[in-house]
Amino acid sequence: MSQLVAIARREFLSYFSTSVGYVVLALYLLMSGLLFALSVLHTGVEASMRPFFDLSFFLLLFIAPAISMRLISEEMRLGTIESLMTCPISDAQVVVGKWIGAVGFFLAMMAPTLIYPLVLEWYSAPDYGSIFAGYLGLLLIGGLYLSFGTLASSIWPSQILAYLVAVFFWLIFVGLTSWLPRFIGDPWSAILFKMSIELRYSNDFSKGVIDTSTILYFVSGMVFFLVAAVKIVESRRWR
Amino acid sequence: MIEIEHLTKCYGSFRAVGDVSLSIPNGQVLGLLGPNGAGKTTIIRVMTGYLPPTRGKASVEGFDSVTQSHEVRRRLGYLPESNPLYGEMRVVEYLDFRGRIFGLARAQRKTAVDRVVERCWLKEMRKRQIGRLSKGYKQRVGLAAAMLHQPPVLVLDEPTSGLDPIQIRETRHLIRELAGDHTMVLSSHILPEVEVTCDRIVIIARGGIRADGTVDQLKQKAGDSQHYVLEVKPETGNGSMREAIGKISGVSRVDETSIDGWTRYEITGDATSSDLREPLGRVVSETRVPCRELHRESGSLEQLFVRITSEGEAP
Repeated sequence: MSQLVAIARREFLSYFSTSVGYVVLALYLLMSGLLFALSVLHTGVEASMRPFFDLSFFLLLFIAPAISMRLISEEMRLGTIESLMTCPISDAQVVVGKWIGAVGFFLAMMAPTLIYPLVLEWYSAPDYGSIFAGYLGLLLIGGLYLSFGTLASSIWPSQILAYLVAVFFWLIFVGLTSWLPRFIGDPWSAILFKMSIELRYSNDFSKGVIDTSTILYFVSGMVFFLVAAVKIVESRRWR
Repeated sequence: MIEIEHLTKCYGSFRAVGDVSLSIPNGQVLGLLGPNGAGKTTIIRVMTGYLPPTRGKASVEGFDSVTQSHEVRRRLGYLPESNPLYGEMRVVEYLDFRGRIFGLARAQRKTAVDRVVERCWLKEMRKRQIGRLSKGYKQRVGLAAAMLHQPPVLVLDEPTSGLDPIQIRETRHLIRELAGDHTMVLSSHILPEVEVTCDRIVIIARGGIRADGTVDQLKQKAGDSQHYVLEVKPETGNGSMREAIGKISGVSRVDETSIDGWTRYEITGDATSSDLREPLGRVVSETRVPCRELHRESGSLEQLFVRITSEGEAP
């Protein structure tokens, strides 16, 4: 356990020692600030963060892969994977530890946006229950995006390639599960809609509903991608 | 104790190491010598548990490198060939991180970090960012990280690669210092390095062991026939020195040259002859000529290395 924490801690701190971390942080805060100002701050409408949460889903689709693109690929490029893998830790500890570090950075990146509900509070009385659910949903979506990013980073040694693959994967996934079903009939449309991250998020979390089946769906996705990443890292030894 | 039994490692259809067996007793400093691409790093990677063997096995202190990989890694300090480090971390931060990975408690970590910083002459660099250190200091950080958890076995892959002559000397000195407390495997393609630092040398070429022995044993193996050098003052009437040497049993050839007023005899004994230094000394004392040198020329490690790697001589 202490080894897992050590890997996660190092990964988390490494974001603050490189320019990439600060660029991602600044970019996200700039974009999310714009989203908040343009989508939420309107006179005469309900004091709700929902429009911000709905748009954040798409914004994170481009931001999260930038956080995860270096996780394993950078270790492979530098060769540090060799000294790490000859320490008494498992491949799973390395992969999961790195993912936790990335989730930690994701949380740190989200933290300044907590000021937005306070801005709303200044003008009216927002529903903190739905705001909590919205943030929980963003955390789950972030965790899911980052888990696939970790997998992409374990397959492709180039950070840029890992980023592009992750972005395109989610664009295609969202297209297949949120857009395509509108044009095809049942039962496929129902199945695809069930798999839609966007619909699950906007129908549940964004509205303030915490549905355990949706939580399970996101967590299963994370576990699936992380196990796949561990297997990819393990398989490198056997080639 | 390190045991390697019939180790074979293939990358796809390419066989990098073939049927290598090796036993390294506790406390020994073993040099793996070989040209680039000979299979040294592959053997080391299997030994450290980084790569599984295709066939055969490797064990460290009785623990198998595949099935008991974590036990092996706990007992190993490993400095990989490229000495990969996290450039954005400070020296003590990195060493502390390594301590955490090896499960050292906070107090243990502090003591261990102070110890290796002292031992690897890193005191002034404690707070420096690794990425900004010179190559020599980076190498020391790599060594310090390998020694941090006080492993009984140290595996150093090309430890002086890329260092300047002074840094090479310092690193060799450190390796000799560490030799007393550790079993060490040192991989290199630099002959003087292994000659100076190792108790035993294994020459690897084309994925197999081509020679194995102490420096002296290998040097002896390098010599094809026996060569002796004798330098005396020119004779003054006590008979022909050359003739006397020629009469010694086992001498097959005598060459005579003159250097700075001294006569130099280069004597070649036949392959089956025993040590000719004693009869040569007797000739010198009987002829009563002043003598300034009498020695047996041994074959150099370089000769053996070149012969093995270029001609493919079997052990």
